[in-house]
Amino acid sequence: MSITGSVPGTDKRGLRELGAEEKVGWDEVTQGVTLNSFVGDAADIVHKKAEERNYNDFNSYTATVASWRIIKPVYNRDICIDCQNCWVWCPDTSIISRDKQMLGIDYDHCKGCGVCVEVCPTNPKSLLMFGEAEENDKALSAWPEKKKKEK
Amino acid sequence: MAKEFELNEVEVWDGNYAASQALRQAQIDVVAAYPITPSTPIVEGYGSYVANGYVDGEFVMVESEHGAMSGCVGASAAGGRVATATSSQGFALMTEVLYQASGMRLPIVLTVVNRALASPLNVRGDHSDMYLGRDSGWIQIDAFDAQEAYDLALCAFRIGEHLDVRLPVMMHQDGFTTSHKAQNVYPLKDSVAYKFVGEYVPVDDMLDFSRPVTHGAQTEEDWHFEHKAKQHKALMDSRTVIDEVFADFKKLTGREYKRVESYMMEDAEVALVLLGSSVETAVLAAKQLREEEGIKVGIVAPRCFRPFPYDLVREALDVPSLKAVCCMDKSAPGGAMGALFNEVSAAAYSTEARPMMTNYVYGLGGRDFAVDEAKRIMKEQKAHADAGHITTDIQQFSGLRGPKLGFFQTRRD
Amino acid sequence: MVEIRWHSRAGQGAVTGAKGLGSVVATTGKQVQAYALYGSAKRGAAMNAYNRIDDEPITNQETKMFPDFVFVIDPALAFSDDITKNDKPDTQYIITTHLSKEDLISQIPALQDKADRVHVVDCMQISLDTIGRAMPNTPILGAFMKVSKMYDLDFFLENMKKVLSKFPQKIIDANMEAITRAYNEVK
Repeated sequence: MSITGSVPGTDKRGLRELGAEEKVGWDEVTQGVTLNSFVGDAADIVHKKAEERNYNDFNSYTATVASWRIIKPVYNRDICIDCQNCWVWCPDTSIISRDKQMLGIDYDHCKGCGVCVEVCPTNPKSLLMFGEAEENDKALSAWPEKKKKEK
Repeated sequence: MAKEFELNEVEVWDGNYAASQALRQAQIDVVAAYPITPSTPIVEGYGSYVANGYVDGEFVMVESEHGAMSGCVGASAAGGRVATATSSQGFALMTEVLYQASGMRLPIVLTVVNRALASPLNVRGDHSDMYLGRDSGWIQIDAFDAQEAYDLALCAFRIGEHLDVRLPVMMHQDGFTTSHKAQNVYPLKDSVAYKFVGEYVPVDDMLDFSRPVTHGAQTEEDWHFEHKAKQHKALMDSRTVIDEVFADFKKLTGREYKRVESYMMEDAEVALVLLGSSVETAVLAAKQLREEEGIKVGIVAPRCFRPFPYDLVREALDVPSLKAVCCMDKSAPGGAMGALFNEVSAAAYSTEARPMMTNYVYGLGGRDFAVDEAKRIMKEQKAHADAGHITTDIQQFSGLRGPKLGFFQTRRD
Repeated sequence: MVEIRWHSRAGQGAVTGAKGLGSVVATTGKQVQAYALYGSAKRGAAMNAYNRIDDEPITNQETKMFPDFVFVIDPALAFSDDITKNDKPDTQYIITTHLSKEDLISQIPALQDKADRVHVVDCMQISLDTIGRAMPNTPILGAFMKVSKMYDLDFFLENMKKVLSKFPQKIIDANMEAITRAYNEVK
C-alpha cells in the first residue's frame, strides 16, 4: 500500500484489507456488538496523534480500502494555500493535516471519490485526480498551468 | 444521597404503586418515559420520588415511547441503571427499540402493564402487548398480583444485570386487574431492598473515557448470526440465574417464586395453563372444584414467559395421571392457535402421558375471568378425560357473546 | 370474606375511599383488595369500586362479586344504577340521600322488599358542611362502621388519620368530623 512520503510513519494504519479480519465463532464475538477502538487505557487518547494511538484490530484505522480505488488524488504542496477545504469535505478523513498545514493523502483510506479536488479553490488546483497506476512524481511534473479568467 | 422513604410493615398498594416503589428502591439512575394508561402511575411515581429527593436520578421526558426506549438505550449504554414503563400502543411503538436493547445487551427493566392493542381502542387489560414482545430477546417475567409486581421488579434488576446475563427484562402485570387493584403488600426496607438489588456494575459503559467503545455496530451477514446466537444462549442460560435470584429472594423474604408455578399437579387428571392474574382465580376455582366435585384439577403457570421454560413446563405436565390440558391465551391469536397453546403443547408432546391439549382464547380487552367460568372449563377437560378424546373444538372462546365459536375438530378414526 | 361494591361517579373519591378502608383494615392483620372499574371514564361518569376483606390472602381476581355491602355515594345513582345487581339475601345497602328512608324506598322498586337492609345517610350534605365540598367517600365509611360494627368509631378514626396523614391538618380534622357525623346520623 502506498503512503505519501511526507506523512509521519504509522504503526498500525492499513495493516490489512477491510473485511479480512479473523472470523471468530459465536462464543468469541463481543457481547452486545461492542467495538473498542483502542487497546489498553485510552484516557489521554485525545492528546495523541493518530499514528501514536494503539488502535484495536477492529478499528478501521488498521484496515485499508486502497484496493477499492481506480483513480487517486495527487497533492501539490507548491500551490496549496492550506485552506483546509479538502480536510473538511473528505468523507473518509483521508486528508492528513497537522496544525492546519496539509501534509498529504491517507492512501489507505482514500477511495478516490474526488471530492477534495472539487472543493479545492486554488488556480490551478492543488489536488488533481490521476490514474491509480500513475506515479505521483510524474503526475506532479505534468501539473497544469494557471488558467486565465475568461472574459 | 437519597432520603429514606418510610414504609409500614404492611402497605395497601396497587400494582403500579408497588412497581414504582421497587424502581425507587433500586435507585434507578435514569427513567426516560412517555406515560400511557394503565402504566402511567409507575413513571409518575418515580418522577415524584426524584422531585422529593427520594431517589438520586433523572426523569427524562420524551416525545414518544419510541423516544422513551431510545433514551433508555442511550442511558444504559452510557452506564446507568435504567428503567421505564409502558402498555399497549406505547409498547407497540417501542418494539423497534426493544430489539436494539436486547441485541446491545443492555439490562434495562421495562415494567409492562399489560393492556389490549387497538383496534378497537381499549385501555383495559389483556396480553396482546406481552405477546408482541415475545420474540424481542427480552426476559419476560409475569407478576400475578401487586405483591408480586413489587417483588419481581426488584428481582428483575438482579437478573438482567447479572454479568452472565446482561439482558433487558420486562416485568409484566395485568392492566387494572393488578395495576389498579390495591391489596396487602409487604415491602422491604429501603436499605434491605437496595442491598438485595446491589450496586449497578457497568459493562462497556460509554462514560468510561479510558475505554472508548462503539455500541450497536453494523455487522451484515458475516457477523450477525454469531451475535444473535450468543444473545440467544445468554437468554436460554439466564434460566439458572433466574432460579438463583428467586432462591436468594426466598431466603430474604420467605416468598417463593419459580420459573413455572404449579399448583395441585401431583395427582391432577386435568389441568389449566394460564398467565397473569387469572392464575390466582383459576387456583381458587380448582380448589373449590376439588372440594365440590372431587375433580382433580391442577394449574400450571409459566412465571417466566421468556426464556420459555420448556424444561419446567414439561416437568410440570409429566404427571402419569394427567389426561387433558387446556391452555388459555389472553391475546387474539391472529389466525393461529394461541401462543401458549403452541408452546405448552410442544413441551407436553415430550412427556410420557401426552395429555389431550385444547386451547381457549379468553379475557380479551379486559373481559372478566370468572371463577364459575374457570370451573366450567375445568369440567369440560374432565369430560375429555372421561371420553378418552377431545369432545369439543380444539380452539374455543371463553366469555364471548353470540353463537359458539370454535375451530378444529379432533381427528378420530 | 366480606365484599363491598361502591356505586360512585368518577371524581367523588370512591377509589380513594376503598383504598382508605383497605388501609385501615390491613393494619388489623386482615387481607384486603381495593379496586375499581374505570378506564377512560371522565369525571361524573358512573363507576364502581370494590373491596374484599378476608382473614386469608385473597386470590380471587374476578371483578364481579356478590356484595355483602353496597355503598351508593351519589344520590342520583340510587335511581339510575343497577344497585341491587348480584344481591344476596343479606346484602346491606348504605345510600347517600337527602330523602328519608321511606321516601327513597318508595321511589326505587328494586329496594322495596329490602327495607330492613337499607340504610340512608346524607353524605353529600355532611361533606359540604364539614369538608366544604361534595366528598362523600369518607363519611360513607363512618356510616359503614355503624352498620357493620366492624370497628369502634374511635379505632377507625385513629387509623383513618394515619391514612390521611399526607393532607393538611385542617382537612384531616374535617374528614374526622364528617366520619363521626355520618356514624351518628345513618338510619
